[in-house]
Amino acid sequence: MPTLLAISLLTFVISSNAPGDPVELMLTSQTSQGQAANILATEKAYLEKRQELGLDLPIFYFALSSSSYPDTLYKVPKRLHRNNLDRLIYDYGDWKYIEKYYQDTKAFELKAAGTERDSLNAQPLVNIISLVNDLYINHDDEKINFTLNKIGENLSEAPSLAYLQSDLTNIKQNYATVKSEATPWKRYVPTIHFYGLNNQYHRWFFGDKPWFGSGEGKSGGFIRGDFGISYKDQRPVASVIGDAIRWTMLISFLSILLTYIVSIPLGVNSAVHKGSMQDQIITTFLFILYSLPSFWIATLLIMFFGGGDYFDWFPPYGVHGDLPPDASWWVQFKDLAWHLTLPLICWTYGSFAYLSRQMRGGMLDVLGQDYIRTARAKGLPENKVIWKHALRNSLLPVITLFASVFPLMISGAIVLEIIFSIPGMGKMAFEALVARNYPIVFTVMMFSAILTLVGYLVADILYAVVDPRITFSSKK
Amino acid sequence: MSNSNTREQVNQINQSYWAYVKRQFAKNKRAVFAMYFILALALVAIFADFLANDKPLVAKYQGKVIFPILKSYAVDLGIAKWPPELQNVQWKNLEYDFSVFPPIPYLPTYLDYTNVLKSPTEEQNLPNGWRWKHWLGTDNLGRDVMSGMIHATRIAFAVGIISMSISSLIGILFGALAGFYGDERLKVSRIRFIFNIIFFILGGFYAFGVRSYTLSDALATSAVSLLIQLIISLVIFAAVIFLGNLLAKPFERIPFLGKKVPAPMDIMVSRLIEILVSIPRLFLIIAIVATMKSPSLVMVMLIIGLTSWTGIARLIRAELLKVRRLEYIEAAQSLGYSNWRILLRHAIPNALSPVLIAIAFGIASAILIEAFLSFIGVGVPAEVVTWGSLLNLARTHSSAWWLAIFPGFAIFLTVTFFNLIGEGLTDALDPRLKR
Repeated sequence: MPTLLAISLLTFVISSNAPGDPVELMLTSQTSQGQAANILATEKAYLEKRQELGLDLPIFYFALSSSSYPDTLYKVPKRLHRNNLDRLIYDYGDWKYIEKYYQDTKAFELKAAGTERDSLNAQPLVNIISLVNDLYINHDDEKINFTLNKIGENLSEAPSLAYLQSDLTNIKQNYATVKSEATPWKRYVPTIHFYGLNNQYHRWFFGDKPWFGSGEGKSGGFIRGDFGISYKDQRPVASVIGDAIRWTMLISFLSILLTYIVSIPLGVNSAVHKGSMQDQIITTFLFILYSLPSFWIATLLIMFFGGGDYFDWFPPYGVHGDLPPDASWWVQFKDLAWHLTLPLICWTYGSFAYLSRQMRGGMLDVLGQDYIRTARAKGLPENKVIWKHALRNSLLPVITLFASVFPLMISGAIVLEIIFSIPGMGKMAFEALVARNYPIVFTVMMFSAILTLVGYLVADILYAVVDPRITFSSKK
Repeated sequence: MSNSNTREQVNQINQSYWAYVKRQFAKNKRAVFAMYFILALALVAIFADFLANDKPLVAKYQGKVIFPILKSYAVDLGIAKWPPELQNVQWKNLEYDFSVFPPIPYLPTYLDYTNVLKSPTEEQNLPNGWRWKHWLGTDNLGRDVMSGMIHATRIAFAVGIISMSISSLIGILFGALAGFYGDERLKVSRIRFIFNIIFFILGGFYAFGVRSYTLSDALATSAVSLLIQLIISLVIFAAVIFLGNLLAKPFERIPFLGKKVPAPMDIMVSRLIEILVSIPRLFLIIAIVATMKSPSLVMVMLIIGLTSWTGIARLIRAELLKVRRLEYIEAAQSLGYSNWRILLRHAIPNALSPVLIAIAFGIASAILIEAFLSFIGVGVPAEVVTWGSLLNLARTHSSAWWLAIFPGFAIFLTVTFFNLIGEGLTDALDPRLKR
């Protein structure tokens, strides 16, 4: 449990450091180039979305930062603005003046946008608003001065804009104070801000709904099974993952089955005929298979057999063809098998090589044991010795490998699902990462961690079950 | 007869452990072959600039003998300048009295617009003769594949070696602390324990929190400046922790604060490993790489290094748990050696052999991860040509078999041979495992 908590913290740290603004990702709003009403509307939509996602809360229970930072910086809504203010504070060290500068700039933008438009001032106004937007995201002294002067030039182009001059001078003055009153030493003084339970991490992990009875709240929290909502398509994360995991499960299950069916006889065979030509060929072949990078093999298979310019035998990607909706299950099955052949080959060969090598090693160990000699000595047929006496005992390491299969499902799947574009866990997780769709990333990471820990537990238990010499009672 | 036999035995006994290992390793033909191959590749990596470059190795130009490639090193280091007549020239088109070009007269970044996506077997547009043939074809921008592969060797080796050095350093340090001290053997005074935690956080604050923008600016400038800034950060970090220990000294006189308590090194390290291991490594690496503001190879190496030390730490820990109970460690303790001296001079060197194996396999997997990252286009800058990025081009140009075969083979061979070396070392270091 402490490990899980730490992992949740780790994933949280990664996600909160990621660039990009999730709210802006969700709001595919057209960039407003003017009207005050427009600006206000988008800002309002932005704030609402932000509140809905819970991003208006402080990130964690507490924060360690320089004393120059206010404890309320998280309240600045737009992420880009916030990052830029962060940088300004870092450079000049005094939030008081920087805040004034920021607020005045915002007021100026609204005022400019609210100006009555005519043919003379329309173009300068558009320029000014885009310049002000530049101002929000620049911290470089030269650039800020340049932009401020540029705004001034645009103001003087139309007489109806002259009344804004005084506001501009005000901003300029504020900026000058920011620079003249700079206290960069403050960044070396650490302070801790406490925010209490109402923060993003707490809401995501524990939820803010009351535990008993019904009440107000946005999220049930991860540990109560509420994984949040995917930023991309606004669906609950649980259903997105549910859709994806079916494919990964199907393919993993098939490939594990294939692996075990092929590799156990192969490993046994090569161990029994140790040192023979057959064994040497198999061992070398397995070693080569084992070190072939799967993404290369996948690329080659698609290139040469997947509908390219060479052999058009298999479809290069996807899991469905264009089937009529009323197709019989046999046709559907054939279509699926046809699509899954190449992925299955890639999925299987690596683990197949690995498992066969393990099997061979385990079998060799067992074949050297005394009881095998005894079994042979008492006249048992060789087949019975190998397949009954030896195999059972050499299966131990192979069975326990099964436990590590679950977490491998996710990471192994990333590579191949991307290449074959199979809509499974790996592809979904990767796409979520690239699109910064963090609710999904969180959930996948947490689940893979849980599965790994469960896998270890299962492996330990299996060890104890198959080998009575292992106990978990502590001996000292 | 028996006399020579005993002599042989005596010789064997007198041999040092490493000489024995060397002999065992030399017996393994495959591993030795793999090592020669890796050495050859390392030479290619080191001399990549002399094997594939658009500048001549040596030339006589306007009556002067020049060595442009060597000169370009000097220029990069800032100790020399190009003469004005050689600044920004097309080296290929200059009128030389004589010139010797490298075997592959292209840089991986050179765009040959007249030969776009040409296969090695296809007719190529070569006005200057066969010398300028693209032996392994060109990619969709007309870049020479052979040249790209040669320079990518350097990247692959850099990634493998640098990331594994980082992870072995961390792994050996953490594993040794956990294994040697366990949960009880490292006794520190209470005040020191508390101060170390506080100053650890403070160190992080001063070294990385306060300097976050300096670091990210350095990342945007160049790899070298990032490295310098990182080293400065680490020095600050170490200094702050040192200061904390210094400050704790006077307080140790107070009996309550000065009381020695065991520091649970083993629990802390084991928990850390558990956390890192339970997230699939590839997924963790992609997740961290995706948070980077701009792609950078140095960061990729760092991240691979910082996430793959767990295996080495476990090995060292397990080894030291055994070693610390051996008599010679007790002997060293009874001689009054300090714990650090015993750890560094006596305990760790005897636990290093499994680490060597892990490093060989680790380099292989680091190279594989880097190839995969550039294959899916995450974290590695788009303009850098690597084996993975070449392979990725084959996905979008499905008829360009040469883009799939050659870089794939390079990855496969390198990874396989590092694995073979690892296997050879396993057999040589632990004769019991020999099958």
